[in-house]
Amino acid sequence: MMNLHHLPNQRKNEHIVLFLRRQWFTLLRIVIAFLILTIIPIILAIYFWETLSIWLEDPFLGPAIIVAGSIYFLCTWLFAFVEFADYYLDIWIVTTERIINIEQKGLFERTASELDLVSVQDATAEIKGFLETIFDFGDVLIETAGEQQRFHFQSVDDPEKIKETVMRLTLEAKERLNAHGNRHPIIPTEIKTPSV
Amino acid sequence: MPFSLTELSFPVLIFLGIYCFFLLFYVVYSLFTAIHLIKYGVVGFPMYLILVVYIGGTILLIAASIFLLLRYDWTYSVPLDFITSLFDNSLFQKAGIGSL
Repeated sequence: MMNLHHLPNQRKNEHIVLFLRRQWFTLLRIVIAFLILTIIPIILAIYFWETLSIWLEDPFLGPAIIVAGSIYFLCTWLFAFVEFADYYLDIWIVTTERIINIEQKGLFERTASELDLVSVQDATAEIKGFLETIFDFGDVLIETAGEQQRFHFQSVDDPEKIKETVMRLTLEAKERLNAHGNRHPIIPTEIKTPSV
Repeated sequence: MPFSLTELSFPVLIFLGIYCFFLLFYVVYSLFTAIHLIKYGVVGFPMYLILVVYIGGTILLIAASIFLLLRYDWTYSVPLDFITSLFDNSLFQKAGIGSL
């Protein structure tokens, strides 16, 4: 379990500034997909009830329909749960010292990486699309000096504000570094862990 | 005695086997996802809430399906010629849909 009061490898005087997940609209998409997948068969069953009720009385077709229906609804429920887990486990944490990126890719791949703020070169906020503009969500890209790897905050709320916060924290981290003597910036590290 | 294809029968119990096999897959996959949530998720009320809601929903769905499945005679075997007859129009005519 991840406890926000005890981050992995937490440094002295390090505290969380931003805790980010994809915007609630992502969750709404899962809910809408689940409702459509659930309601359509129910509407069809009500519409064709006269036929369906005869088929359900049949000693062969009845069990077949009930088993198929049960499997369908359990699959839909499982799909919603897995999609929620995928949403819930993707997080980005910005602290006063670093950026932590935890991404769940399906059930069998999990990527946890962190980036020292002093390595950040640039941050870009992207708002593309009608819904993104209306609800003010989009992507934030964090780029590091001399590194191809970029941190990508996907579908986060208020990307402009996040970008500004990251750049302000980066500046503060660099000032602290200069004040305490120069040292080599820590390059981003990525740990891929096979899940469970 | 000569072999006749039409004398073969299909036990309805096979559907129950398929359902049990699916339930096994469902439980394993659900447990796997739940362990992920508990192991890697951020400690908090939403995580526990979603687990309780999911388990509750699963229990309701399985209970409902078991309740519906209990009505049937699972010792029944369907002759193969009956299954082939399902592909003609009689079933739809019986249901009042008309010929398709």
